[in-house]
Amino acid sequence: MKLLYLCVIVTFFVFQGCSTKEATSPTNHEQAKAKATTSIALQSNIPDQQVLEDHTEGFEKEFSEQETNNTVDPLGGYNRSMTSFNDKFIMYVLNPISKAYSYVMPQPFRLGISNFIHNIQFPVRLANNLLQLKFQNSSDELERFLMNSTIGIGGLMDPAQNYMHVPIHDEDFGQTLGRYGVGSGFHIVLPFLGPSNVRDLVGVTLDTYVSPLVNVRGLENYKIPDNLGQSIGIVAGTLINKNSLHLEEYESLKKDAVDLYPFLRDIYEQKRNSEIAD
Amino acid sequence: MLKNVMMLLLLSFVSVYAVEEQNIKQVMHTKVNKVLLVLKDKTLSQQQKEQKNLGVMDDIFDYTIMSQISLGNRWKSLTENEKTQFSHAFEKKIKLSYLDKLRLYNNQEVIIKELKKIKPTRSTLETEIIGRDGTYKVIYLFYKSAQNNQWYIYDVNLVGVSIIQTYRKQFSEFLKTKSVKQLIESL
Repeated sequence: MKLLYLCVIVTFFVFQGCSTKEATSPTNHEQAKAKATTSIALQSNIPDQQVLEDHTEGFEKEFSEQETNNTVDPLGGYNRSMTSFNDKFIMYVLNPISKAYSYVMPQPFRLGISNFIHNIQFPVRLANNLLQLKFQNSSDELERFLMNSTIGIGGLMDPAQNYMHVPIHDEDFGQTLGRYGVGSGFHIVLPFLGPSNVRDLVGVTLDTYVSPLVNVRGLENYKIPDNLGQSIGIVAGTLINKNSLHLEEYESLKKDAVDLYPFLRDIYEQKRNSEIAD
Repeated sequence: MLKNVMMLLLLSFVSVYAVEEQNIKQVMHTKVNKVLLVLKDKTLSQQQKEQKNLGVMDDIFDYTIMSQISLGNRWKSLTENEKTQFSHAFEKKIKLSYLDKLRLYNNQEVIIKELKKIKPTRSTLETEIIGRDGTYKVIYLFYKSAQNNQWYIYDVNLVGVSIIQTYRKQFSEFLKTKSVKQLIESL
């Protein structure tokens, strides 16, 4: 009886083995795909052809629905030249500085600075989570701020994420405006800061009022920098610190571009749309 | 003996249902882990790593459908010859881009989250890459092939940016002023 079982299993296994090869061998997959293409080429197999057409139409609909709209680009010429200016700025100024900085500043310190800057911008995230009526997210953010500011030594560490697994909910005014139906408006490339649009420019302006890192006249008690110079210093420092943690990513991304300006514009708009939908 | 047979049996089951729906998560888990192992393997040269990693992912990416979607409605106006040429060029481009992104790998952890069924023929698999200063969402988009009922990846969404959508946009801009032949050459 035992032998019979074994026999059955072995036979089963043998057949299984055959079909395994058939299903997984990459060449077979390629053949299947090649077959699919030749069937279009020869137009011999009508049902197959139909199925493929249906498929393509399904994809066509899916992708054209999600396409970012940028038919209106009144600043096209300026944006293009600003993109190439920013590109040169990143390649010849920001990257060398960031590299030198990452060489003298050990990574744990840079991560600490990054955490600190993130933590101190908590008012922006809280305000926008509340404005979007995301109460659970708001309470997560509040919890994160309290925990990281105390146990996390003034925000230098992120125990909320690392040990308590309280997720970050990044929201800004641009996203809040988008959430309430404000369209993106035309695209604007900002010097040094990169791609933006009308809606997000308004958003960033509002963010600066709430963020403790940029000085605004009349709110001196709440703000860290006392004047414009200090604000610019903080923004530049943030930019360098962040870039030092993401070296070579821009170069790698750039390789995917056929034409840099529309490529970066499309990526930015897609990313913002998905952040708003989130 | 029996134990071994059972083990082999189990293993063969896993690969039989390689790209069927209920196993997408499992297969992707295995594949991602394989890629990560290769990346961490210090005995391999950069070239060996790249060869191996392409092999792991090749049978689950449907490059033909990707190149078709990326051209949109223009695809139909191409001659058969142009279609093949374009698909080849595009496949190469995607692979190079994928390898280039892998070069940035720096011991990040990858978490595979849930598989969501969007439509009978579409599913998405959400994954997360835990970076040094943040988490990045990567979503793999699968479709069910009508020919063999297997599931293939037709797009990858990186932090809200669809790779194929980005190419679509770029190609349509490019083709406004230039020919398909020039596009193939530029790839």
